[in-house]
Amino acid sequence: MALPAVDKRKQPEHEHGTPARALTSKSAAGLVVGLVLVALFAVVRVLAPSTSETFGLPNAARDFATLSISVVVESLPFVFLGIVLSIAVQVWLPEGMLLRRLPRSPVLRRLVLSLLGMLLPVCECGNVPLARGLVVKGLTVAESMTFLFAAPILNPVTIVTTAQAFGWNNGILVSRVLGGFFIANLVGWIYSRHPRPGELLTARFQETCNVADHDGGAAGRVRRSVQMFSQETRAMMPALFIGAGMAGLIQVAVSREVLVALGSNPVWSVLALMLLAFVVAICSNVDAFFILSFGATFMPGGIVAFLVFGPMIDVKMLALMRTTFTAKTLLQLSVLVALCAAVLGLAVNYGH
Amino acid sequence: MVIRRLVGRWQGMVLSLIGIVATIWLGLTGQLALYIHPRYFVFTVIMAVIAGVLALAAFALVPGANDAPDGGHTHAGDAHAHEHDGDDAHRSRWGWLRPAGSVLTIIAAVVALLILPPSTLTTATVAQRDLNGSASALTLKTPALPGKGDYSSFTVRDWASLLRSGAGQDFFADKTATVTGFISADTTDPNLFFVTRFVVTCCAVDAQPIGVPVYHPGWQNEFKTDSWVTVTSSFHANPNAASREAIVLMPDSIKPTTQPAQPYVY
Repeated sequence: MALPAVDKRKQPEHEHGTPARALTSKSAAGLVVGLVLVALFAVVRVLAPSTSETFGLPNAARDFATLSISVVVESLPFVFLGIVLSIAVQVWLPEGMLLRRLPRSPVLRRLVLSLLGMLLPVCECGNVPLARGLVVKGLTVAESMTFLFAAPILNPVTIVTTAQAFGWNNGILVSRVLGGFFIANLVGWIYSRHPRPGELLTARFQETCNVADHDGGAAGRVRRSVQMFSQETRAMMPALFIGAGMAGLIQVAVSREVLVALGSNPVWSVLALMLLAFVVAICSNVDAFFILSFGATFMPGGIVAFLVFGPMIDVKMLALMRTTFTAKTLLQLSVLVALCAAVLGLAVNYGH
Repeated sequence: MVIRRLVGRWQGMVLSLIGIVATIWLGLTGQLALYIHPRYFVFTVIMAVIAGVLALAAFALVPGANDAPDGGHTHAGDAHAHEHDGDDAHRSRWGWLRPAGSVLTIIAAVVALLILPPSTLTTATVAQRDLNGSASALTLKTPALPGKGDYSSFTVRDWASLLRSGAGQDFFADKTATVTGFISADTTDPNLFFVTRFVVTCCAVDAQPIGVPVYHPGWQNEFKTDSWVTVTSSFHANPNAASREAIVLMPDSIKPTTQPAQPYVY
């Protein structure tokens, strides 16, 4: 299988006149463009006035900017890490190394995949590029969903922080871990029955899957890695920036007093906290501390719903996942996960 | 058409570079603390550098970097992707929407990350999030009481925790606090303000305001909210018995100060 692939890659070079030289000068020109952009951005940043008074922005606008920037600065390294891991899985891991070792039975496969987050401690924003890479490598769409939804919860960092925040109180930790595990596998099972899983994906991402199977030597791999980086940033960056802007805007605009006021009712606490989780779009690694910091007024079921729903679906995640799944699929997923999380939360509230 | 092509192809790269340059600059000038918890500093800067190298390599190696008209056919993924943005049926009329949105996103990113001066959260967020309403910010780290007398290392957070823990007036009677924070007004009592700080567990998004109440009638004439002050004072019973805060600081003088390098507490 390797031989024809190599041939395919080399052919175009023979067609063009003096490929090597043309390529080098092109590369140099591209590099110069990149460096000029970096220099330009750096100069703008250094020369920009340093006191906020000069802009006379009202406090709310300043906080909107600060909150949005904070989401970007916090998520950016995790997205890059996810992209790098995705490149590693797609280009540098021997073919089938990861996927071939999975069990054959679909149910068992999904069970194992939902534990993959244990080995790859990436935040949920980094999971999206990684899941895309896995789908290109041959993971089914349903399996990628299981991975996407389970990994942020069944993640060592998340489990440790949740344990630190809540200990064994009210079964919050257990409900979160088992609930997340169950919902992720349920979603995977439901979508594994979809007759044409390709339709769940955006046209653009389907295309990425189709072209991604040529291979080459080490030089070809470097080229492909870099190309993939460009491809993934093109999909992820606009989503991340827009998601961050929305998260910042909602935080400034929506009064949390109402949400907090609803927090002590067994039914409303679940719904209000799920809404809060959707709106704040906070990393699963630290959301336990975040929700703890809202005071002891919330019912445990509400907290569980927050901790299960938030890592799976929120404004930022929807923006990121939109790069891969169609809007219709995301709507279905959101409703499905929300229902499951609500049932889980209510069960915890009324079970005590 | 050319613009759409350029924007579609390079938006991700340009946004990445903006984010990378901003992150590294924040790291070099020690201002990352305005946005994220210090434990992420090293990781964030390292990933920014790695991504920067990859981005530059992409400019050099990915075909089309310099508007080359050819080079499309060998890399179908790149060449085709922008052709299929959105619904093809709507392309003629609404086709400009996506590039316009992309350009807007880039402009917003430049303004937010490269032009706006980095800034802390303000009293607008204090009002949005209940001051001292957060249980964990105050109780997760109950301060260890020092042996006899030396409370100089106590922060706003330590004092706020002690006040909230319900320690009585006897406990505070012989103690002097020195706290630094920004001024936020009390919502009910005009004679009170809070020396306020944000407690951050991950990034500014989860910041929770905490504060120590200061009784100083007429403070509005001397200080603006959001300005940073250092207050040294002993604790007293609040002269206004109806106030929510029973124990307050009553300083003789309040020193204006500048925003510290680490404006949040952890």
